[in-house]
Amino acid sequence: MDSITTNEEFSAPHEAVVEARPIWRRWLWPGVGLGIVLVFLGLLTLGLRTAGVPGPQAGQPAPDFSLTLFDGKPLSLRQDLAGKVVVVNFWASWCTPCRDEAKLLEQTWQDYRNKGVVFVGINYVDTEPEARAYIQEYHNTYPNGPDLGSKISHQYRVQGVPETFVIDKQGNIVGLPAAGTSSQTPKFTGPVTANQLAALLDQLTQAP
Amino acid sequence: MADIGYLLIVLGLAAAVYSMVTSVYGVSARRPALVLSGRNAALVAAGLTVGAALMMEFLLLTHDFNVRYVAETTQLGQSLYLTITALWGAQAGSLLFWSTILAGYTISVILVTRNQHRDLLPWATSVLMLTLAFFLTVLVFLRNPFERLTFIPADGTGLNPLLQHGGMMIHPPNLYMGFVGFTVPFAFAMAALITGRLDDTWIRTTRIWTMIAWTFLSMGVLLGGRWAYDVLGWGGYWGWDPVENASLLPWLTATAFIHSVMVQERKGMLKIWNMILIVATYGLVIFGTFLTRSGVISSVHAFALSNLGPMFLGFLTLVLLMAVGLIIYRRDLLRSKNQVESLVSREASFLLNNMLMVGVCFAVLWGTIFPMISEIFTGDKITVGPPFFNKTVGPIFALTMLVMGFIPLIGWGGATTEKFLRHLIRPAIATGIGALALFLLGVHQVYALIGFSLCLFTGYTTVSEFVNGTIARRRATGENPFQALVNLIQRNRRRYGGYLVHIAVVFIGLGIVGSQFYKQEVTQALSPGESMQIGDYTLTYLGLQQDSDLVKQDLYGQLMVSQGGQQVGVISPQQEFFTAANQVMTIPAIRSTPKEDLYVIVAGIDTQSNSLTFTAHINPLVMWIWLGGVLLILGTIIAAWPAARREPAPVTEAVAERASTRI
Repeated sequence: MDSITTNEEFSAPHEAVVEARPIWRRWLWPGVGLGIVLVFLGLLTLGLRTAGVPGPQAGQPAPDFSLTLFDGKPLSLRQDLAGKVVVVNFWASWCTPCRDEAKLLEQTWQDYRNKGVVFVGINYVDTEPEARAYIQEYHNTYPNGPDLGSKISHQYRVQGVPETFVIDKQGNIVGLPAAGTSSQTPKFTGPVTANQLAALLDQLTQAP
Repeated sequence: MADIGYLLIVLGLAAAVYSMVTSVYGVSARRPALVLSGRNAALVAAGLTVGAALMMEFLLLTHDFNVRYVAETTQLGQSLYLTITALWGAQAGSLLFWSTILAGYTISVILVTRNQHRDLLPWATSVLMLTLAFFLTVLVFLRNPFERLTFIPADGTGLNPLLQHGGMMIHPPNLYMGFVGFTVPFAFAMAALITGRLDDTWIRTTRIWTMIAWTFLSMGVLLGGRWAYDVLGWGGYWGWDPVENASLLPWLTATAFIHSVMVQERKGMLKIWNMILIVATYGLVIFGTFLTRSGVISSVHAFALSNLGPMFLGFLTLVLLMAVGLIIYRRDLLRSKNQVESLVSREASFLLNNMLMVGVCFAVLWGTIFPMISEIFTGDKITVGPPFFNKTVGPIFALTMLVMGFIPLIGWGGATTEKFLRHLIRPAIATGIGALALFLLGVHQVYALIGFSLCLFTGYTTVSEFVNGTIARRRATGENPFQALVNLIQRNRRRYGGYLVHIAVVFIGLGIVGSQFYKQEVTQALSPGESMQIGDYTLTYLGLQQDSDLVKQDLYGQLMVSQGGQQVGVISPQQEFFTAANQVMTIPAIRSTPKEDLYVIVAGIDTQSNSLTFTAHINPLVMWIWLGGVLLILGTIIAAWPAARREPAPVTEAVAERASTRI
C-alpha cells in the first residue's frame, strides 16, 4: 500500500487529489483542530497566571467550622465570632515547635481579648488527656477544642502543626508576607513570633 | 561528588543538543557520517544522564546532607529502600528520574532499531533528544538536583510521610516508564510526518514500545489505586484527584491508539486519527507533568508550588504546534483509501471504542481543568467532585464494556446484521439468566444490575472465544484440552492476549461496580472490650499497642474480627506520627476475600482513657480489581511478545479467525 507516499514527494502535499474542493472546505477541519489546540493552550496560559495555592487563599472568606471545645461548649466561626478578628491556631501535644509559641499565644490573647480579638486553638490528631495536660501546663485560657475526624484541618489544608491562620473582621483570611517573595501566604507555618502577631493584630483591630 | 553530578547533566545537555542538530542536518543534507555522529551523541547524552542518576543514588545512599536534595528527602534511620526511592520523591529528583528513563528508552530504541529505518531513525532520534534536552535544561538551569547547601546539616528532614510506603518502590517508576515510553511512538510518528513516509512502518516499528509503555502505564494507574487504598485510609482506590486523572488521560488515548492502529495495519484507514491519538497521548503526558508542577490545580499529589509551570507550558505549546502543523501539512497523504464497509464490523466497533475512550478523556479533562476554567471566568475556584466524574464517565465505560462484548461476535470487514444477531442469541440469553439470578440474590439497584450484566455479557462472549477455539483445535489436531488452549494462544498471541486483557477489564469492572454500589461504612468509638457491628462482622477492640523508631511513632488499635460468630483473626489499623514532619498517617487494616474487603481505620483518638474511634468499611469485590490488574499485565505480555522466527500476524491471524469464530 501507499506506493505514492515514498520519499519522492518529500515536500509537496498532494494537491491534485483535492483540488476540486473550495478553499474553506480544505481548511475547515485543520482550522477546527488548530483552534481547539490553541484554545486549550490559551486556557492553560490563563490558568497559569491565576494559579493558586492549595487550601484557603489570602483575602478569600475563611472556611466555616464548628467544634465542641474541651469545656463542652460549642463554637462556630460564622455564628459566634462574626465581626471579630480571629486567630486560628492548629496544634498538638506531641508537637515540639508548638510548645515554643504556646506561652506567647496566651500572652497575646490576654493583651488583645478586649479589643475584639478571639483566639481559637484547634487540637490536631491528639489524645485528650495529653491535650488537657498541655493546656494546663501552658495555662491556655482561650477557646480550645479537638478537631474530631480532622475535618477542620482538612478544610484548612493543614500540612503540619503548628499552623496559624488570621481572619479579619469581614471573615476573610488575612494575607501574610511570604519570606523572600512579594507574594502573600494565607498562614503562619511554624511557630509565630511576638512581633509578627502583635503588629498584625494592631493593624486589624484598627481597620474598619 | 555533587559537582560531578552537575557536570554530567550539563554535558548530557550539550550532547543532546549536538545530537539533535547533527541528526537533522545530517539527514537533510544526506551526510551519513553526520547522522551516525548524531546517533552516537544521543547514546552519549543518554549515558551521561544515567550516570547523573547513579551519582544521585550514590549521594543519597552515603547520606551526603550537604546536597540540598539529599537533606530534604532522606534522614538517618530511614530504611534502605526509601533512601533509594528518594530519587523520585521530590521535584528535582523526579525530573532527573524522568530524564533517566527517557535515556534508557533512547538507548534501547537505538540499539534495537540499529540499521533499520535509516530514513525515520535520525528524525526520531532528534525528537527524543529534543525531549531529553528540555528536561535536562530544566535540571541545569532551574532545578539543579545537585545543588549544595552552605553548611552540612546533621540530619535530613526525610521523605514526605505520604510517600513512605512500599508502593513508593514500584508505583512511580511504573507510571514514569509508562509516561515516558510514549515519547518513542510519538518520535517515530513525527519522523513519519516529516519524511512523508506515512505507511504503517512507524506503527509497526514502535508497536513493542507502545505496548511496553501501555503496560507500565496501566500498572502505574492500578498501583496508584492500590496505594491510595492501602495508605490513605478513606476506603477508596480512586478519588478523581487531578493527578490521578492526569495519569488516566494518556491511558485513555493510548488505549484508543493501540486499537485503532490495528485498523490502519489491516485496512489502511484512520491514519490521521492515529496521528492525532499519539500526539494527544504525548501531549497529555506533558500536560500531566505540567499540571503537577505548575500549581494550576491543587491536589494532594502536587509538588510544591514552583516556577516550572511556564517552562512546561512552553514545551507543551512547542510540541503541540509542531505536531498539529505537521499533521495539517501532510493531511492529504494521510487520507485513507478505504471506508468502513459495514457498521457491524470490527473496524466499526474499534472506531466506536475510540469515540468512547476519547469521550471519557474529554469528560475527565474537562472535570480536571474545570476549577481552573471557573477561576478564570468567575474568580471562584469551583472543584468538580467525584459525582460529576461518576455520572459522566460511568455510563461511557458501561458502553465501552458492551462494545468489548460485541467484539468477538464481529469479524473484520463486516458481517450481515442477521448473522450478528444470530450470534448474539446465546450470550444474550446467558446474560439474561445471570441478571435474573443476581436479582434473586439481592442485587436490586438498577445501575449495579446493568453494570454486572454488562460484565457478564462481555465475560461470556470473550471466554467463549477461548472455549470455541480450543474445541475447534482439539477437533482438528486431537490435542488434549490444555495443550489445545496453550497452542491456540501461542499461535495467535496478539489476538488472545488482547482477549485476556478484555477479561481482565471485566474483572476490574466487577470490582468497581461492586465497591461503588454496595459499600458500607460504620464509625464508632470503642473502649477496650467493646465491639461494633458491620455487615456480618463483629469487631471487638482488644487494646492499644505502641511502637516507635527514629522516624515515627506507631499506634495500633487491635481488633478481634468475628464473622457469623466465628473468630477469624486480629487486625491492627494504625496511626503513624512522623516526628520530623509533624504529620500523621492513617494506615488501614484490610482483610481481603474474593467476596469483599473488610477495611478498618483508626479515625480518632479523641476521648479519655483508651477509647479509639474506628471507621469500618465493607468494600465488595475489590480484590477483583487487583486480580484484573495481574491478568491485564499477563495478557499484554502475551499480546506484545515479539513472535520468534515464525512469520506472524496477518496470515495466521486470518486462519485462526476463520477457525475459531463462527463468522
